[in-house]
Amino acid sequence: MGDMHLFHHLTQPAGQTASDVRAQFPVLAQRVHGAALAYLDNAATTQVPLPVLEAMRRFETHDRANIHRGVHTLSQRATDAFEKARSDLRRFIGAGAEHELVLTSGTTEALNLVANGLSSAHAGQVFLQPGDEIIVSGLEHHANLVPWQQAARRSGAVLRILLPDAQGQLHTEDLAQLLTPRTRVFALTACSNATGETPPYAELLAMAAKAGVLTVLDAAQAVAHAIPNLSTLPCDFLAFSGHKMYGPMGTGALVGRRSALERLAPLRYGGDMVEWVTYADAGFAALPSRLEGGTPNVAGAVGMAAAANWIDQIGRDAIDAHVEALRAQAAAGLAALDGVTVLAPHSTHSAIVSFVVRGVHPHDIGTLLDEQGIAVRTGHHCAQPLLEHLGLGPTTRASFAIYNTPQEVERLIAGVARVLEVLR
Amino acid sequence: MSTAETDLYQEVVVEHKRTPRNFGHLAAPTHQARGTNPQCGDDLRVELDIQQGQVHDIRFNGQGCAICIASASMMSEAVKGHPVADAEKLQQHFRAVMTGQSEPDAAYLGKLISLAGVRRYPSRIKCALLGWHALMHALHEAEPDAAPTTPLANPSPPAQAQP
Repeated sequence: MGDMHLFHHLTQPAGQTASDVRAQFPVLAQRVHGAALAYLDNAATTQVPLPVLEAMRRFETHDRANIHRGVHTLSQRATDAFEKARSDLRRFIGAGAEHELVLTSGTTEALNLVANGLSSAHAGQVFLQPGDEIIVSGLEHHANLVPWQQAARRSGAVLRILLPDAQGQLHTEDLAQLLTPRTRVFALTACSNATGETPPYAELLAMAAKAGVLTVLDAAQAVAHAIPNLSTLPCDFLAFSGHKMYGPMGTGALVGRRSALERLAPLRYGGDMVEWVTYADAGFAALPSRLEGGTPNVAGAVGMAAAANWIDQIGRDAIDAHVEALRAQAAAGLAALDGVTVLAPHSTHSAIVSFVVRGVHPHDIGTLLDEQGIAVRTGHHCAQPLLEHLGLGPTTRASFAIYNTPQEVERLIAGVARVLEVLR
Repeated sequence: MSTAETDLYQEVVVEHKRTPRNFGHLAAPTHQARGTNPQCGDDLRVELDIQQGQVHDIRFNGQGCAICIASASMMSEAVKGHPVADAEKLQQHFRAVMTGQSEPDAAYLGKLISLAGVRRYPSRIKCALLGWHALMHALHEAEPDAAPTTPLANPSPPAQAQP
């Protein structure tokens, strides 16, 4: 299978060839231990294309000033750049008039904002009361689990886990069993970073929303492809990161229904989020400012929006088709190796392939693949409870982006086969 | 053959990983401790039978990567039947080699020299040290079933003068 065959869909609307796309990522053109780098760790972070770096550089060299507070020209330009980034990201994720988009430092901050915000006093009330129930799926990354553990402790609410089955899949019937009149929050991932499992999140969110529950979607692994559309989702809070969608690190967004965001106690008190301050007291600003205390990563927001625009120029369908084909190729090739078990084999809309090998530890696989220039991730992937629940220890994980090629997947499969020869 | 294969996965290392020595349990350990590397899932327990200042018997069990298992296996062979003081001296040297503080003394290390390459792979040093860390913890704990411990979390021992 030549790489031109799988890339051919890219030559249509965007008019870019495979090598055009790859050329926009200079970091990929290096050798590691004497072999061409095959960067297959995109679920950890994606690389940043030149147009995104250029947008950030332009901001820093032409428009940089602090935002919102100045009357001078540069501060106005900086504010305009920041607010344009916000509106570009709103459009990207499908936000409508009823939604607000808060710029954060990433998904972790966004999810902490929600969990902390619902379990702390705001306007004289705490949303979560003792005895209330929070349901979190068993697939979650620690960032959408640990904050809820804290929220439960802080508020006296009870944490309940929607466990997946032995194959790591979630079922609506199980959620129906967990929902009670005391359930106030349901938090769920759009895609498990540890297994590549993509739960039926639209259905699950709808079921919870119908029960009057606030819904939280961790979309971190679903904004570079298979991107959710907020306008069609019964979702109160949706969180994502820039660095997982070809944007810079240290950027992200919490987007949600204004009515839901209004309930959140802020996490960062201080400048920019106040209307008035005396020594004794403060009055807080309206959304989204109230949840954006302090000087933000303005260049980062500009970069994140540029990444969103870059994705739409390449084309979402083209990206989806590309990474899903690579995933299918990898899953098939790895599963054919003796003693290799691919997790979530049924997960066709994923860009993540996670696997375990009988008698061989991921740490050794990862080191030996690195020796062949292949970058994968090994360990618990910040999803320790999920892997324990599935009876697994650490895994090896490869994850794909628009710049990866079928040749790189072949190298991964051959590389793993070689590792098995050495170690078994 | 690539560098990590020669540096880390020499035949003797792979052999100890495939067939670890002294893997299992003691009926009545006098000392034991558990060591874990939470990030990678290595989890070992070392069980000792100490009599009159000697390591009369040793076992280890648990799970881990090839480096972790091989190192613990070679460790168990090196300390079994020897004075506790010798085990501690060997641990100090091995740790110093792993952390780049000493050059390896091949004659002294014997088979353990096959792990010297680990010191060039920072992310794997804790793997090679896990069994040793659990061994030291077991020797210094009065009761069995001490809480799990992690290598490099404690301050390093004072630097030893080279003989």
